[in-house]
Amino acid sequence: MSLPERKTDIGPPHYEQFLPPVIKKNYGKWKYHEVLSPGTMVHVAESGDEIYTVRVGSPRLLSTASIREICDLAEKYCDGYLRFTTRNNIEFLVSDKSKVDPLVAELKEKKYSVGGIGPRVSNIIHTQGWVHCHSACTDASGIVKAIMDDLYEYFTEKELPNKVRIAVACCVNMCGAVHCSDIAVVAVHRKVPVVDDENVAKMCEIPTTVASCPTSAIRPNPKTKSITINEEKCMYCGNCFTVCPPIQIHNPEEDGVAIVVGGKIGSLRTSPKFSKLAIPFFYNDPPRWPKVVDAIKNILNVYAANAKKHERVGEWVERVGWEEFFKLTGIDFTFQHIDDFTFMRDTMRTSAAFKF
Amino acid sequence: MSLKTWPSFVTEIKKAAQSSSMPQMADDELGQLEKSYNTKRGYWKHGGIVGVLGYGGGVIGRYSSLPDEFPGIAHFHTVRLNQPSGFFYTAEALRMVCDIWDKYGSGLTNLHGSTGDLVLLGTTTENLEPLFAEYSSRGWDLGGSGSAMRTPSCCVGMARCEWANIDAMDICNSMTQHFQDELHRPAFPYKFKIKVSGCACDCVAAIARADLSIIGTWKDNIQVDQAEVKKYADAGMDIQAEIVDMCPTSCISYDNGEIKINDAQCTRCMHCISKMTKALKPGKEKGATILVGSKAPIVVGSLLSWVIVPFIECKPPYDELKDLAEKMIEWWDDNAKPRERIGELIEAKGMRPFLEAIGVPPQPQQVKEPRKDPFFFWSESDFKK
Amino acid sequence: MEQEEIQGKIFEYMQQMKGKKKLKEKDIIKKISADTGEEKDTVKKALRAMIDVGKLMYSYGGGASSVEIPSEEYLKEKGLI
Repeated sequence: MSLPERKTDIGPPHYEQFLPPVIKKNYGKWKYHEVLSPGTMVHVAESGDEIYTVRVGSPRLLSTASIREICDLAEKYCDGYLRFTTRNNIEFLVSDKSKVDPLVAELKEKKYSVGGIGPRVSNIIHTQGWVHCHSACTDASGIVKAIMDDLYEYFTEKELPNKVRIAVACCVNMCGAVHCSDIAVVAVHRKVPVVDDENVAKMCEIPTTVASCPTSAIRPNPKTKSITINEEKCMYCGNCFTVCPPIQIHNPEEDGVAIVVGGKIGSLRTSPKFSKLAIPFFYNDPPRWPKVVDAIKNILNVYAANAKKHERVGEWVERVGWEEFFKLTGIDFTFQHIDDFTFMRDTMRTSAAFKF
Repeated sequence: MSLKTWPSFVTEIKKAAQSSSMPQMADDELGQLEKSYNTKRGYWKHGGIVGVLGYGGGVIGRYSSLPDEFPGIAHFHTVRLNQPSGFFYTAEALRMVCDIWDKYGSGLTNLHGSTGDLVLLGTTTENLEPLFAEYSSRGWDLGGSGSAMRTPSCCVGMARCEWANIDAMDICNSMTQHFQDELHRPAFPYKFKIKVSGCACDCVAAIARADLSIIGTWKDNIQVDQAEVKKYADAGMDIQAEIVDMCPTSCISYDNGEIKINDAQCTRCMHCISKMTKALKPGKEKGATILVGSKAPIVVGSLLSWVIVPFIECKPPYDELKDLAEKMIEWWDDNAKPRERIGELIEAKGMRPFLEAIGVPPQPQQVKEPRKDPFFFWSESDFKK
Repeated sequence: MEQEEIQGKIFEYMQQMKGKKKLKEKDIIKKISADTGEEKDTVKKALRAMIDVGKLMYSYGGGASSVEIPSEEYLKEKGLI
């Protein structure tokens, strides 16, 4: 069979062909929405038309077989119309109100996770991990599965003071919004990379490699035509490894994950915030990373017990103070918590007023 | 652990082996992953040089470092397909994507990748050209990778959200079409990401994850429906505590069952609107705030985007927006070192050269506060009367 | 200058730099434009035409994209030899 003729620079298919008729008709004319249950909501247009959304979680890593099953459900209940959220949830777009309950019933019967709307834990944004990335220093899918199994009821039922956005990044490249999440796991290295001089000389551009270091820890080594790393300056970011693979940063025995908290994206009430370090390190502990899961559950529980309604994790911590956060959560405060990279001026306390 | 469980990625890998025409790919993917779980390390090599003829992006080379043990994933390249704006699909369209992928790949996907692409995980070098012919002839093109424009993405916007101040999906699609060459043929110092959110809730994380963040806003007054305000109160909402006391600028008051807003003091943060969706709506004079520079920690720490243009009208064909984006990219492309993002370049060169290059004047909305130290630059042009 | 002639200059430069420095598209365009006095856009078009037929190719390594002379393996895979 001969191949069809390739086309270039056509861009993505135009979204309009994928919109349900009720959305096309009321595009830009929505009046309000209501969350009906943890997994369903309705949007009502100025015309009075309605579109119902049924949301289910997904592991993001989806097989074609599962996508076809999702498509079958979409055809059975919503004329084949569906979308995905920016947090990798699946949304069935139901125009016929009478089909919402039967769809939810069939989804639950088939063990789909219906939920994630409103002040809850939504799907975890995560990266490829050992499944598909060369720079991963932990697995992402496995940690996500362990956390979501444990927090399942916070997706499908239980309310929290506000949304809690969790993310997992399998290295500091952070292909996800880890740096601005309520609670996030980020994999970190802790040892200076090992330099394979012979291959560095063969494969790498030395000036580019030297320039890749954010702390100027790398110097050329004319003798070996390779580089040397100043161990006192190296912060193990791994950027040199990206630029020059024979600088080997991976260390299975000493790599692991840190937990950061208090970030947010939206401008609601307070400005968007970076996540800050809560726990500097846990050893990689596959397949279930139990200490990581327990630590996240602890932070979530303390937040749920102490935050005011509508406060995000970061807003709650800022109101009570970080010294209070460490006290309430029982997390140890260490040298790693004090910034000695780019944010020291912003983060040291410059007031005699604080809590004991 | 609760009795109910989150969907399993391992199940997905097993299912992929059942539907793909090349079951050994997913089988070996699972085998290698299992090994990683035992040894606590990954077994993927750095990306190699693969792609489709004429393009420099959209395919990321991936090879197992254990090809003898796991021959099915000796080649396991990623293909990025440019997603439709807003991630809307029909079952028919998704099935077509799956049929082609089962024929040429592992049967594994990401819906979606972190940047927004529909990601196909795992194919061989020899399958790249046929796969591209099959997809492109049916209306699907590749996304960005490498030192290039990356696939723009956006929130659901006007398709299903009453807060959309701009047509995020149309802007995203229009920008994507405008920058096809920059997307497919890597000519930049590093990646460049564009994200479009309809309001300050920022569901696509534009402010944290895009070199160019376009966020919808308005200039006039919040629209208030007092009858609906009353219904919220009747239904038990503590409007004083939940709305008035949480307003960051104290510009809302609630007296005698009515909400009053001092709109001149409002920063349009979206708190009150998002909590009283039936009673409050954004104003009518809509547009976008343009912010620049956000990125993840590599290389010199994370950045959030900075406000550059406080307000710009966003009407199709979005010429003003495109022109602004082009000027930003040109200045960055002319000045940046390899692997330097635009935010880092602005830090290194200063905000003034950037603003002058794109023709935007200094404005108080751009800063949280003015500079603190008495060290500042003067240019020749500052001395002219 | 005819496009073919510009392409000759580009290829010559690429051969000269092979193994010495990874060249970005922009580096090549700047250099050849300066050498020949041709507009950058003209050089870009000539370069793109070479990439479209596999005379040159985009490459990726060290966290950045570049342009290279294709390997025999690449040409075979694309059915060009």
